[in-house]
Amino acid sequence: MSDCIAMRESMPLLLTESLDPASREAAHTHIESCAACSDEWAGVRETWRLLDEMPRVEPPARVKAKFLAEIGQGEVAQTNIVPFRRRPAFKWLAQAAAVVIIAGGSYFAGHRDQRIVLPSQEARISNVIPVSAPIYSLAETRTLSSKTMSPNIEGRPDIENVQFIDADPSDGSISLGFDITQHMTVSGAPTDKSMVRLLSYVMQSEDRVSPSRSRTIDWVRDTYSKSGNADPEIAQALAKVLRNDQHEGVRIKAADTLNSLAPRVPVTAEATRDALIEALKSDPNPAVRLKAVEALARMASSGQQLDPASIDMLRQKASQNDENLYVRVKAAEALSTLSKIRPE
Amino acid sequence: MKHLSDQELMRIVQAGDFSPASEIYDRYSGRIYNFALRFLKNAEAAEDATQEVFVKMMRHANQFQGDAKLSTWLFSITANWCRDYLRKSDNKAKEAEDVLINLPAPSELSPDRTLEQRENEDLIRRALQALTPEQREAILLSRYQGLSYAEIAQISGCSEGAVKTRVFRAMETLKKALVGDLRGGDRCLTALP
Repeated sequence: MSDCIAMRESMPLLLTESLDPASREAAHTHIESCAACSDEWAGVRETWRLLDEMPRVEPPARVKAKFLAEIGQGEVAQTNIVPFRRRPAFKWLAQAAAVVIIAGGSYFAGHRDQRIVLPSQEARISNVIPVSAPIYSLAETRTLSSKTMSPNIEGRPDIENVQFIDADPSDGSISLGFDITQHMTVSGAPTDKSMVRLLSYVMQSEDRVSPSRSRTIDWVRDTYSKSGNADPEIAQALAKVLRNDQHEGVRIKAADTLNSLAPRVPVTAEATRDALIEALKSDPNPAVRLKAVEALARMASSGQQLDPASIDMLRQKASQNDENLYVRVKAAEALSTLSKIRPE
Repeated sequence: MKHLSDQELMRIVQAGDFSPASEIYDRYSGRIYNFALRFLKNAEAAEDATQEVFVKMMRHANQFQGDAKLSTWLFSITANWCRDYLRKSDNKAKEAEDVLINLPAPSELSPDRTLEQRENEDLIRRALQALTPEQREAILLSRYQGLSYAEIAQISGCSEGAVKTRVFRAMETLKKALVGDLRGGDRCLTALP
């Protein structure tokens, strides 16, 4: 019996192959001949194996940044660049304007001693063309029209201090303010591609603090729930947030907003549905799963078809004993709605 | 820097040049963070631990013995930090402690984990939390860091015999929680509180 106790204490060492060869041989001989120790050994090995199922997690990048900053070795931020390219047309326009000014100036200089006589006529303003390209200094805040921006965001720029402005809700224009190398405000229609991409980028910027993402999603819901503003890229971005964001509060808002948008953007129905199903199936937070069920139910009631896999998932959730009670009830309600719309 | 050994990097640091900081961090931050995360079951505290351990390593580089293993020294600092953290947590209100302990670790939130994997991870996490801090420290260093009992003894400030007993006791508790009685068949999923 004392052999057995000593043997069991040595089992972890046997697992890590830390015993000397003679002790290891003796241990295996004992285990083979002792039923109780054989059972114990099987249990210890299985426990050791199960412990390996704990995933290894990478520390967030901010930890390294804080550490290096603390010891005065902070790296220069490589992403602190203006993320937008001006459209080439602007550059050409500026160059063309410069050529006109130089040519005009030269002509004027060459003919300044000649008197120009123009026939008199009544002055009349026929058309006013607003100045579309203001001159900027590095110190001032820039306000740019989203139409002048390339919709392609380059790199992963650091966008901070995001603000939303809708000075006149009736003018169909919104503005997004943020800090890059300086404070910028981009204004334009919600449907403008640059505006859509910019909002999608802010929503998915996981390295930013969650309140910013959360506020962006609120803004997106208010803006893109309006008829005429719905955009498939916004729905796709929300589906990605629902899948990938680490903050459950942000995922809840993403599911909630998809719930508002889903009936209006049928072109993204499949991607949205997949994201909702995935959230319902495996999101660790019951509030997110609840929002996913609600969104699926709403998609069904608005006439969008749910595939058999979605219906199976709803059935599974409705009958899953260890699922959150509210999620089960909502899943059952969704199935009930479906059966009324599409009796089997 | 990548071709230099730990000892060579530390010699540079000991000479007052902190430029190897990033390289040393890259080599050990994953192990330190995961140890702290599993020990404390609190992602925020694990981040603080990782940051402060490396800061301490740089500021007290002269205490590092050139012939020692850097990993052993780093784990000594980490284990001390974690023990201090738990001591301070014990003094806080129970509610506050509950909030801290219940914060999800990042792995719980990963979309790539299946439901079964999440359940197993949760089971293991709870089983580890059911151990005494000494047992948890010993099993984490042995199972996940592959350290010898002699190294663990050095880190924990106890004898090798004590480490052997702690690992054995920890395995007994974990086996009961994770595997149950094999002769009884199924895994005992209800053994934990």
